Amino acid sequence: MIATQSALELKGEMLMLNVLRLQDVDIKLIEETLQQKRNEAPLFFVQSPVVVDCSNLSQEQGKQLDLRALRRLLVRMDFVPVGLRNVSNAMLAASMTSGWNILRSSTKHPPQKALVINTPDENARVTENTSTEEQEQNEDAVSTEPVSEDQVNEAIENTSLTSRQKQGLIIERPIRSGQQIYAKRGDLIILSQTSAGSEVMADGSIHVYGPLRGRVLAGVKGNKKARIFCRSLEAELIVIAGCYQLLDESETELKGKPAMIHLEDEKLIIEPLI
Amino acid sequence: MSKVIVVTSGKGGVGKTTTSAAFAAGLASKGHRTAVIDFDVGLRNLDLIMGVERRVVYDFVNVINGEATLRQALIKDKRVDNLFILPASQTRDKDALTKEGVESVINELKTDGFEFIVCDSPAGIEKGAFMALYFADEAIIVTNPEVSSVRDSDRILGILQSKSRAAENGDVIKEHLVITRYSPERVDMGDMISLEDIVDILSVPLLAVIPESGSVLQASNSGVPVIMDIKSRAGQAYMDMTARFLGEDIPHRFLDIEKKGFFKKLFG
Repeated sequence: MIATQSALELKGEMLMLNVLRLQDVDIKLIEETLQQKRNEAPLFFVQSPVVVDCSNLSQEQGKQLDLRALRRLLVRMDFVPVGLRNVSNAMLAASMTSGWNILRSSTKHPPQKALVINTPDENARVTENTSTEEQEQNEDAVSTEPVSEDQVNEAIENTSLTSRQKQGLIIERPIRSGQQIYAKRGDLIILSQTSAGSEVMADGSIHVYGPLRGRVLAGVKGNKKARIFCRSLEAELIVIAGCYQLLDESETELKGKPAMIHLEDEKLIIEPLI
Repeated sequence: MSKVIVVTSGKGGVGKTTTSAAFAAGLASKGHRTAVIDFDVGLRNLDLIMGVERRVVYDFVNVINGEATLRQALIKDKRVDNLFILPASQTRDKDALTKEGVESVINELKTDGFEFIVCDSPAGIEKGAFMALYFADEAIIVTNPEVSSVRDSDRILGILQSKSRAAENGDVIKEHLVITRYSPERVDMGDMISLEDIVDILSVPLLAVIPESGSVLQASNSGVPVIMDIKSRAGQAYMDMTARFLGEDIPHRFLDIEKKGFFKKLFG
């Protein structure tokens, strides 16, 4: 491919961004509130990119907002200011002269909208590989789920995503060769077996109470704390948050035995399950 | 209440048609009105194995297309009462099968009073196999004691429980496992997968084990369902299978190496 010799590679990628939605224009007040948030989770904000959203500000407030001061404040507090969003026309000139980038405003849901929690049925996707279209859709859902603002806001409020991960998916029947199952945003619990040639995936952890024989992918959206638990470890491939291991290449003595797998320093650790 | 039973396997050549023919004949011989449909459009075999090849006038596709009535196409078996065969077309391909068409034929068989409708699936996971399993209430999975056959059966089980009409309605198709061409000697030598391992891999209840037997080939070639050869071990095993399917509690046979007596050792 010629692409390998080209000077650059240009592609769209989804990045985690913090969205700071301003409700007030008083820089002092903003600083105090931010400082409070940062004290709750000091490491969470270090060098983290932030987009300032002005959709909740009135025209009048927009004019009063000192964009230069805001930028300085964010830099001082170790944020990386990326740009402004939902800026009113009245603010446009000021934003440009103060060195802010203007991001295309999102046409997505209004800011007041509550967090949408999918019903478990929507979260569950059992697919059959014979239809490539379906599979592509499935992969779509895995890889291009956009970062929602609510998600970020919630992260700021709770400093963790645990409340989103409480939904689990319980499967009672065997997962057969060629079948895929994906528990979006939660844990996956399989009461029966998974066959060789099957694929079980979850954003959270995976528990399998029959023999685990196919591919198993926990933390597919990057959750490094996700774990895999099984009664009989016979999997072909084990993946947690992108770190993978073929069981046949592993030196573990737990093949065919109860095991728990977790990630430690980018390495998969297979331990006996008591 | 009539039951639609698909005989399927994923892999070819494992004994689906032999099993369909024997099982349907077995059900009919026990007094149940039974129809067996060949879904292998383009590669029809069922009529050969049932010995009705030369009696085929109209076929399954003719009925679907409205070129013949179901009554015209159904072939009544001359040896067993209550047994009817709906042959496949040899000159068409599987695209001739439509969901609506298959459904109307199955519904007509049901209203006609057939208790069991046995669907003989073609190999593979393409349209023909899909059509054969789509309307099933129960499934008989035919497997050989061999890795690729077991794997393909697993695959078809997945399709069965996710793509069938029952699955679409949130129901579960009842599964039965039939292991054919089983040879305890070769299992013992390590050539074949043991029946315990197959059941463990597939975790499907075992309905029958059909021993490897020369009489199967012989029966196929002469157009007689092997179940009618009551002297053969395979025929007896199929008889047990039918009885077990109908709810009788019969122990499995032919699972252990046959001990040869003195004379047998001498004269083979």
